[in-house]
Amino acid sequence: MTLTRLFYLLGIAISLSLAWIFFPGPLTEAGLSLPSTVKWVPSLDDTEDFCQFEHPEWRQAQSIEGVEIEEDPQCKPDNPYLVASVVKGTDKVSMPTLMKTRLAMDAVVKENDRDGDGDPDVIHIKLEVAELNGSTPDGDFLIPGYRIAPGLTPGMWVFVPKMRGMATVDAVNLDANPMLRAPSPPIRVEQGDTIYLTLENSHYFPHTIHLHGVDHPYLRADGQGNDGVPVTSEKMLMPGERRTYEITPRRPGAMLYHCHVQTDKHMLMGLQGLFIVEENRPDNWLQTFNIGAGKVRHRSAASRQRFDQEYDLHFQSLDKERYLPIQAHNDPRLVARAMNREYDITDSDEDFFLLNGESFPYTLRDSLIVVEPEQKVLLQVANGHPHTLGLHLHGHKTTAIAADGVPLESPVTRDVQALAPAQRLTLVLDTHDDGLHSFGEGAWLMHDHAEKSVTSDGIGPGGDIGLVIYRKYLGEDGFPKLQGMDLVPFFNRWFYRKQVPVWARSDEWAIFSDAAPLPPNTIRVVIAGLLLGLALGLLVALWRDGRKGR
Amino acid sequence: MKIPSIVFLSILLLPAWSFAGHRMDMDSMVMNENPMTLPEGCQRISGDQKITVHAGRKHAKKFPGLVFAYDRQSWDVAPCTRLTVRFVNDDDIRHQFMVHGLPEKIYPQGMFTIEVSGPGEETASFILPPYKKTYLVHCDIAQHTEHGMKAQIKVAGGDRDLASLPGLTKAVRPDRYPTDWTAGSIVSLLLALVAGVVLVWGGRRLLKAMGE
Repeated sequence: MTLTRLFYLLGIAISLSLAWIFFPGPLTEAGLSLPSTVKWVPSLDDTEDFCQFEHPEWRQAQSIEGVEIEEDPQCKPDNPYLVASVVKGTDKVSMPTLMKTRLAMDAVVKENDRDGDGDPDVIHIKLEVAELNGSTPDGDFLIPGYRIAPGLTPGMWVFVPKMRGMATVDAVNLDANPMLRAPSPPIRVEQGDTIYLTLENSHYFPHTIHLHGVDHPYLRADGQGNDGVPVTSEKMLMPGERRTYEITPRRPGAMLYHCHVQTDKHMLMGLQGLFIVEENRPDNWLQTFNIGAGKVRHRSAASRQRFDQEYDLHFQSLDKERYLPIQAHNDPRLVARAMNREYDITDSDEDFFLLNGESFPYTLRDSLIVVEPEQKVLLQVANGHPHTLGLHLHGHKTTAIAADGVPLESPVTRDVQALAPAQRLTLVLDTHDDGLHSFGEGAWLMHDHAEKSVTSDGIGPGGDIGLVIYRKYLGEDGFPKLQGMDLVPFFNRWFYRKQVPVWARSDEWAIFSDAAPLPPNTIRVVIAGLLLGLALGLLVALWRDGRKGR
Repeated sequence: MKIPSIVFLSILLLPAWSFAGHRMDMDSMVMNENPMTLPEGCQRISGDQKITVHAGRKHAKKFPGLVFAYDRQSWDVAPCTRLTVRFVNDDDIRHQFMVHGLPEKIYPQGMFTIEVSGPGEETASFILPPYKKTYLVHCDIAQHTEHGMKAQIKVAGGDRDLASLPGLTKAVRPDRYPTDWTAGSIVSLLLALVAGVVLVWGGRRLLKAMGE
């Protein structure tokens, strides 16, 4: 190599190195004037109405086929026809009523009043397993679609009552139909009844049901396993198979049911629900399923006697890494490998936190506890998080009267009630304004005080925030009348995807919204351009010199 | 209670129900059955065709990576045929034979459906339109289509083949699997490498010869 060529090469190297140093980076230092603030203007297409609901008449108290259904004045109440169907039995209600639900005719069958007390004592309940927001080989979309908050569609598995018809809303709208949702529905049975709980495994993975805390024999009379544990009592229930669990629970209380296959995945993917054994009372027709949890619109005789209202509150959380396999792959072998061997729960951290299957702000639509002054409200709370739940109600101190279905000898009144993972607490919310149980009327926040739980993937306010709201703070459309922050950003589908400044609609948005980007420093641009040009020129010269030499 | 009310209530409380092409009982459901009404463009029923369709886990076993399937994925049908489907569910769970894209004038939402609640069967008929078209058949229980229970009915040869039909057509969004370098793949790579070298060497010789 000649000396000239060496100089050329050295020149190119120096020019490029200096260009690298002078080239403007992703951040630019401000000069005398700081950049202006970008005003966030929400697109109407990306922002949902606070309360979208096409059946406002469902909110009223009503009687359907002789079943009394309590008022539920919030934005999205449960379908009263579904409530009537699961109280009377899906084979006993008229077809017009059943057709207003998606329930199969054999979803809940009630028969045989053995003790002659006016209610059925042999109950057949059928469950299926459904995947929400799973992948499809037919394109880049998730099916059936289920949003926990605007723009958020995590993958989930849920137990659902046996259904009929399509999983989606219809042939065009590929969102899950309203019955197909989280959480797995609370189930209510009566103490002393014989329950045949049949799991029809409609999913592509194996599953079981473990009746956690519910009085059940280890084996059925015919020797079949009855504990739902694949390691000990029975084989896993494979896709396309069904199995019936048989119980006659002797003690009342709030229990749990969950899948016991690969529990660290299946249970935390959503295969967990409240299982409540009610006291045996005469003429005690129970609401076998409470879809979406929340308000119980047809309560047990004991609940009606002692309380003014009853609500189910199911807290749970989701880990992106855990559910990613069902959105990345279609082939169950790939899903099984990714979920069972590549995912490691010991390294996991939960990302989404749900109250009754949804996160704030959707919880404002159908997970409100709507109260009047001077009421006693029964709360059945389940902690489906893998962490301890510190349930905090603003403006109130609740009283725990039972834990895991066992009455507490000394009821505990607290403003933070602690629940270990999988634990249930039966709480009384007393709205007498006495400075202890209630501080008076308001729209009071309710949430897990583990602070990450009030976010969705780290964006707050989100997660499992709910409200205890006094009736006068509820609007006519069932949505809370609030006087705090503008809720528009929370209903925008980009907010929880971290694209919207959290204080974008505050009075002083100009202080807190995003600063406009700055143009690069002109001197650096010129120097970098010159150096790059120099390197290019030297490269051409080197090439020409080489040709001449040949 | 007046007699008409009693009759009305008795009808409502019947364990099985049938109304305008819909029927349902504990074991099965049929929606939009249509053995008589001609779709627009059909002058008469051109003929009767009967098919038996089995559905279940065992029919997917021949397709690696799938879980549920029908025993057949495509049927050819002549225009204006009255198709009678005997749908046999070989599993202990629900399955459906659901057809989409039919004329909404006589098939609400463009659908014809047979659903069988568990092991068992149900039979129902519908009349296909006269046009050359491919109709989607699937089971719309969550993730059953996606895991193999998908097929097509082609009228007059159909206007296309649908994607992701087990054993027939590729997925729109196929899965990716780990690459396995077999001996054959390595030999192919080496041969291609040698061919590349030979091409350069031969090309240079050719250019040289042309220059001379």
